[in-house]
This record gives sequence, C-alpha cells and structure tokens, in this order.
Amino acid sequence: MSSNLTEEKKLIEDAQKGSKPALAKLVKTYEQTVYNFAFKICRNKDKAEHTMQETFLSMVKSISQFSGKSKLSTWLYTVVSNHCLMLARSNNKHSAFSLDDEEFGANEVPVSDWKVKPEKVTENNELKKVLDEAIEKLPADYRIVFLLRDVEGLSTDETAEIVELSVPAVKSRLHRARAFLRNQLNEKFQYERT
Amino acid sequence: MKEHKVDCKEVMNHICENLGEDLDSPRCVSIKEHLNSCESCQKYFKSVDTTITFYKEYNVTLSNDAHIKLLNVLGLSEED
Repeated sequence: MSSNLTEEKKLIEDAQKGSKPALAKLVKTYEQTVYNFAFKICRNKDKAEHTMQETFLSMVKSISQFSGKSKLSTWLYTVVSNHCLMLARSNNKHSAFSLDDEEFGANEVPVSDWKVKPEKVTENNELKKVLDEAIEKLPADYRIVFLLRDVEGLSTDETAEIVELSVPAVKSRLHRARAFLRNQLNEKFQYERT
Repeated sequence: MKEHKVDCKEVMNHICENLGEDLDSPRCVSIKEHLNSCESCQKYFKSVDTTITFYKEYNVTLSNDAHIKLLNVLGLSEED
C-alpha cells in the first residue's frame, strides 16, 4: 500500500472516531476533485458548489459506516454522480432523448483536420461555450461514464462500480458518448478558426 | 491465418470503442494496419483523442470563498 493510502486510511479511522482535524484534512484533500468533477457534469459553478457541499455533508454523516472496501475517492465519485443524476432527472431535460436511437456512427470520409488546439481551452471562453453546449446535449448517464472513464481516468471496472452497470454496458455507453461528442465538436471545429 | 479486411467505418467505430485499451486480437491488428495507412482514419482517431483532451483540459478551480463556505457548512474550520 502506498504511503498516501496508508495516511488516508489513518485519517478515515481517526474521522470515524470523531476527529474534526482528520475530517477537515479529508475534505481539503478531495474538495478540488469533487468540485471539478461536479462542474464537469453540471456545467454550472453554483450547482457544482451545491453538489460539493451535499457530497461532503453525506461523507461527514456516513463516514462511520465507510468500510474501506473501495477507495474513498470512488465513494465520493459515486455520491457526486448520484446527486447529479438526480438533479438531471428532476430537470427532466433529456428524458425524450436517447443515444440508443441516435445515428452516431462514424462514416464521414474524408475527415477534416480541426482548426483548434486543446491547450487553448483555459483562455478561450468561446471554446468553453462550444464544449459546454456539446456535452450538455449528452444525456447525464452517458456524460458521467465519459467523464469518469476518459476525463478522470478511472478504470472501466471502477466506472462500472460507480454507475452500477456491467462492464460491457459501460463500454457501450463510452463508445456512444465519445462518438457523439466527437461528432458535435466536428460540426463546430471543421472549418472554424478559434 | 485468415486475413480480416476492415473498412473505415469499422475502424472508426473501433476507435470509439477501444481507445486507450491495448488490444492485440487479429481484428485489432487489422485495425492498426488500416489505421497506419488510412489518412482519414488517422484524422478521425486524432479528433476523438482531441475531444477527450479538450474535456480533460477544461477545469475549474474552487475559490477560497467556496472553500471557507464548505468548511462552515460542515462545522469545520481552517484550524481543524
């Protein structure tokens, strides 16, 4: 076990015994990750902040029951995902839309080069808007799989555990999400110079 | 071994299915061979890879105000 995981295990044990400094250390360790992940799902800073608060409230409330079978980060990703899914379902925004019905396949030949580069993201608000609009069209359950597996870099097994799907189901959603997002961005980036 | 011929659409779908996985089945070998020689599929591969990189690079930073607010909500403080 790495020293970081050993240190985290000790912090969790101390937090389970009621140590506030241990809880605060755990919160500080994961707040940026949780906030960033929540934003990537919600695409809204206020909602991301609210989700982060709800996630850590849940952690503080349930830390005594945390068994340590999975990593704390996996557990936090699960809480964020469930919270965002609940929000998305209550908004009912994408209920009629399913990628199962979508023609998302790749049959564009020849394929054009894109005129934008990823390193421009941080300073380009127009580019951010395009990325937000594209991913907001993706149903939340597909979005979460894409973000966990490709953006956060979790394994397919970990992603399957978090979203409570089989590994083949995760792979299928990931495939569709990648193709969908790529096609959305391709419409914008094929000819534009950003 | 029977040769497995692949077309661009199959390769593009394979890219979306298996990006990031190191596979060496006969089908994957055929896919890689096609990819090495097909400019269109190389561009498609690059665009899928770039799509992922865009979303990886687009991050937000938690403000100090939001951090303090979180600790308050949880009944914790900087001194804890």
